[in-house]
Amino acid sequence: MRYIQRQSMYARSLHWIHTIACLSLYVTGLILFIPSLAAAVGVTTVQGARIIHRVMAAIFIIAPVASVFIQPKGFVHVLKGWFFKWDDKDKEFMAKFAKYLFFGGKEHMPDQKYMKSGQAVADIPVVLLSIAIALSGIVLVWPDFFGGGSIVRWSLLIHDGVMVLLGVMMIAHIYIGAGIFQPYRGSGRIMFGDGKVSEADALYHWGTWAREVLKAGGKDVTTE
Amino acid sequence: MAETAIMYDSSKCTACKGCQVACKQWNQLPSPLTSDEYTFTSSFQAPLDLASNTWLIINFSEEDKEVGIDWNFMRNSCFHCTEAACEQACPVGAISHKDNGAVVIDQEKCIGCRYCVASCPFSVPRWSEKDNKTYKCWQCFDRTSAERSPACVSTCPTGALQFGDRADMLAAGRDRVAALKEAGFDKAELYGEEELGGLHTIVVAQRGLEAHGLIRDPKIGITDFWQILKPLGGIAAAATVGGLGFSYFMARNYKRDVMVLDDATDKLVKVEEVEK
Repeated sequence: MRYIQRQSMYARSLHWIHTIACLSLYVTGLILFIPSLAAAVGVTTVQGARIIHRVMAAIFIIAPVASVFIQPKGFVHVLKGWFFKWDDKDKEFMAKFAKYLFFGGKEHMPDQKYMKSGQAVADIPVVLLSIAIALSGIVLVWPDFFGGGSIVRWSLLIHDGVMVLLGVMMIAHIYIGAGIFQPYRGSGRIMFGDGKVSEADALYHWGTWAREVLKAGGKDVTTE
Repeated sequence: MAETAIMYDSSKCTACKGCQVACKQWNQLPSPLTSDEYTFTSSFQAPLDLASNTWLIINFSEEDKEVGIDWNFMRNSCFHCTEAACEQACPVGAISHKDNGAVVIDQEKCIGCRYCVASCPFSVPRWSEKDNKTYKCWQCFDRTSAERSPACVSTCPTGALQFGDRADMLAAGRDRVAALKEAGFDKAELYGEEELGGLHTIVVAQRGLEAHGLIRDPKIGITDFWQILKPLGGIAAAATVGGLGFSYFMARNYKRDVMVLDDATDKLVKVEEVEK
């Protein structure tokens, strides 16, 4: 069967760096979010968690921002994926997705481009929420610089609220992306493996894109 | 232990600052030892603000009159609120109420996050860069638990500061406000009876709350939402996991044919057919 290179080594590395940062931020952040958890682990662990939280927060911010400059073409590619002209297939995908997700994946989904319309709809809020959690976190690290008081209170509210929203989206992302959701089995190789996806899976998930790549051939299509 | 409170009567206060000194002395809080460490402002108020090593100051508020000025003094320190925003904001449970109502910071647990500093409507807790901890008045709990008055109260020469059962302090405060009104101070008010669930520092404001720099009807504000977010976050996570668990269950028998592209016809065909 033919395989298509869907994600480059760079994209996968960035994904895993960010994954480690995100998971570390959640674990260390929850210690500060839940007082009983902080009490259970003790002050030294809490202080350690705060330091790790800040180091990981720096990675969380720097890694994607640096990528815009290191891989500008990749950034443009992602932007094009988000801001596309919606056609009937994209609308049909969105209309069917909830039923597809919750009722056994039996729904026949329309062909999709490189980025599914549903993924674009989820990704844009994730980016905006990530910016919000990063900015509010910066205020919390240097509260005196930002004048303290109400800006800190709002920042903490935003930081915690966005954490909840991003947490929910991250759980859903892991469920779908890692192939725990049965119709997505096989797609795990894209990030867990060498970035390739089988022709069959590519055609099932991103029909329009897969046909384009398979027809074009080239180094992105290999046979195993 | 019964609920106790400090009562500060601004009409009896001469701003001698004995309470400030006693606070520093008892709690072993260092003062600047070099000259000119405080910026000169021409005010008699010194220090100008609370700090991690200054838990009590007397504020000097001057009000211009036709002839001369009125000096409206105010004891600036922790009010030990029943609904304490600092306690609610503390992510590690370092701030708690003692049985008598005093709100204290456990320095062993404090991580210096400064959420209490941001949340206090009176701007009382102060963070120390030196040891990354936050400090404030603890109503001399070591003294009060041994049935002694807080240091500031014990040193007050005019009786402007009193300490005792909160109910007694409130009763005394009400009487004092009535007496002040009779004496012509129409704006005299009692502060701390209902504010933030009841304060454990009661103030007799001789010339009204605003004249003494007191916040009328203080609110905890958005700190309340921080508390809502915690159970809400748990519910959201549980609902997501539950929903996705349902999705997983519904798709447990999912199967699909492995379809590949037939380049010749540009149609999808079963992989078995291509392999033949």
